[in-house]
Amino acid sequence: MDNKVLDIKDLQIRYVTEDGIVEAVNGIDICVEKGKTLGLVGETGAGKTTTALSILRLIPDPPGEIVSGKILLNGIEVMDVGEKEMERIRGDQVSMIFQDPMTALNPVITVGDQISEAISIHQHVSQEEAKIKAKEMLELVGIPGARFAEYPHQFSGGMKQRVIIAIALSCSPRLLIADEPTTALDVTIQAQVLELMKELKEKMNMSMLMITHDLGVVAEVCDDVAIMYAGRIVEQGSLVDIFKNTKHPYTEGLFNSIPNIDDRKAELKPIRGLMSDPYNLPQGCSFCDRCDYVMEKCATEKPKKVYFSETHFTECHHYSDNPDFQLNKGKK
Amino acid sequence: MSEVLLEVKNLKKYFDTPKGKLHAVDDISFSLDKGKTLGLVGESGCGKSTTGRVILRLLEATDGEITYKGIKIRELKSNQMRELRKEMQIIFQDPFSSLDPRMTVSEIIEEPIKLNKIIKNKKERFDRVLELMDLVGLSRRLMNTYPHELDGGRRQRIGIARALSLNTKIIVCDEPVSALDVSIQAQILNLLKELQNKLGLTYIFITHDLSVVNHFSDDIAVMYLGKLVEKASAEELFSHPIHPYTKALLSAIPRASIDNKVEKIILKGEITSPINPEPICRFANRCNFAEDICREKEPELKETSSGHFVSCHIFDK
Repeated sequence: MDNKVLDIKDLQIRYVTEDGIVEAVNGIDICVEKGKTLGLVGETGAGKTTTALSILRLIPDPPGEIVSGKILLNGIEVMDVGEKEMERIRGDQVSMIFQDPMTALNPVITVGDQISEAISIHQHVSQEEAKIKAKEMLELVGIPGARFAEYPHQFSGGMKQRVIIAIALSCSPRLLIADEPTTALDVTIQAQVLELMKELKEKMNMSMLMITHDLGVVAEVCDDVAIMYAGRIVEQGSLVDIFKNTKHPYTEGLFNSIPNIDDRKAELKPIRGLMSDPYNLPQGCSFCDRCDYVMEKCATEKPKKVYFSETHFTECHHYSDNPDFQLNKGKK
Repeated sequence: MSEVLLEVKNLKKYFDTPKGKLHAVDDISFSLDKGKTLGLVGESGCGKSTTGRVILRLLEATDGEITYKGIKIRELKSNQMRELRKEMQIIFQDPFSSLDPRMTVSEIIEEPIKLNKIIKNKKERFDRVLELMDLVGLSRRLMNTYPHELDGGRRQRIGIARALSLNTKIIVCDEPVSALDVSIQAQILNLLKELQNKLGLTYIFITHDLSVVNHFSDDIAVMYLGKLVEKASAEELFSHPIHPYTKALLSAIPRASIDNKVEKIILKGEITSPINPEPICRFANRCNFAEDICREKEPELKETSSGHFVSCHIFDK
């Protein structure tokens, strides 16, 4: 048995709409190892959330359609499992935290009941036992057990996100998918919640897939990073690979777009243009219209993966021509 | 010599709620020089947006004085205020809900010029709209499109063009880039900066994002629960923060770097209610340094070194 909790191979997902076909995910490979956190980074529309939903088989169909690929979760092929079995897997082996804590909870059910619901469904325990466990979970995420019978509106944003974390972790899943878990929170509260997630991950020996657009959050919690653009993983590697040995022009563009907190005089160098229309992706590299290093063949040929080490790869023509190609880090 | 454009003194805005008075903005004072940017920072609910709105008199202040170019604007009648508003504009956070979905891009930009009867000739007005679109980097072919056809970055450019369409001197930017992706965010920040240099604009830049504010502002004011807790030049504030809340806020920013890790100060507890607050330090129950005096009386804003103001019993020496 290998160490992979999640292993996605050549996943391709599209949405068939009246206006045409949206190529949301275009052949990606992702692997999360036991006890590790993979950060999936990209902008709006890159296909991050679609990827996450496909792991839980929650892609609405229609219009969503998984064209090809394999998703292995703890060695189980998710696509082959029946609906009943899938319900058992969701929440038990893999659970998900959503971005917006304000809408993810049911407003008319107490938080305690919402936590114990997950426990009694998956663990076949009596209601009393489920309640005791739910109280423990609340305390684990730093909320007094006495607030068990309160309703979501009585909690602040940060507290609600803790409740959601408690629900997600109540059955000790092997994999936690966190979709922008702290984006809606204030910075000091964000720091609290990230700290809590790191701590619980260690304690429960979980793996995590962290979806975010914030490279700052990635630097805090992730072991490995995958940069996603227009449905492709354009660069993947360890935290050090991505931050210290940036290879793809898009990754470089992301770093140059963030105001540097330690150097306030530094000029921002935004990526020019907009993300390509997902209805009509360029024939070649999808980043070619925005890339500062674009060459002739970028527009016509899809780049292949180029490996720099076992874990670090990028998809860019420059490296297949010349493995020693260097990005100029915005200095021109 | 720098010239003070806007001065706010002891500004207060209380809202009546069933549970009592909500102190959204509680006795804050600052001044802003022409052509400069003041960053107003704080977490949700600290009163930063309310401050911005009260300054433009989009909300009436409960008490205090707002002086713009020497004019006390709280005493103006509504027609005088309308005249003055041509110089004072606002850009909103959400480029999705701040534009009328039934108006085309050119109509949205044209509307203020038309309503204020700045340019009466239709042809000239149209030329002005095109000029504004060029200025903010909107391609002219988008003139007849509707906001829903455009992405967030372009929509925010429309909001900026609209704010500039009059004789604008000062703009309150209320979280103008928070709803945008990082690559687009950088484009808009660069645009705002360029416009400031070109047109000599003065900004009040409201945001919760400290890395943006550091990049963008000359001075920064940190707010906590309606109070101004610290104010200094951006450089001074980031290199020598004094107030424990500012320190925690600065340490909490996720840094996109794996070197020089900063030790995080994790605040305990949640924000206290701004309704009928007791006259004590409002940060005391989350503060790691709080002493008895913090729970007995309210600290005052004191100048600790030139231009650096802080409101804290423990650290204001």
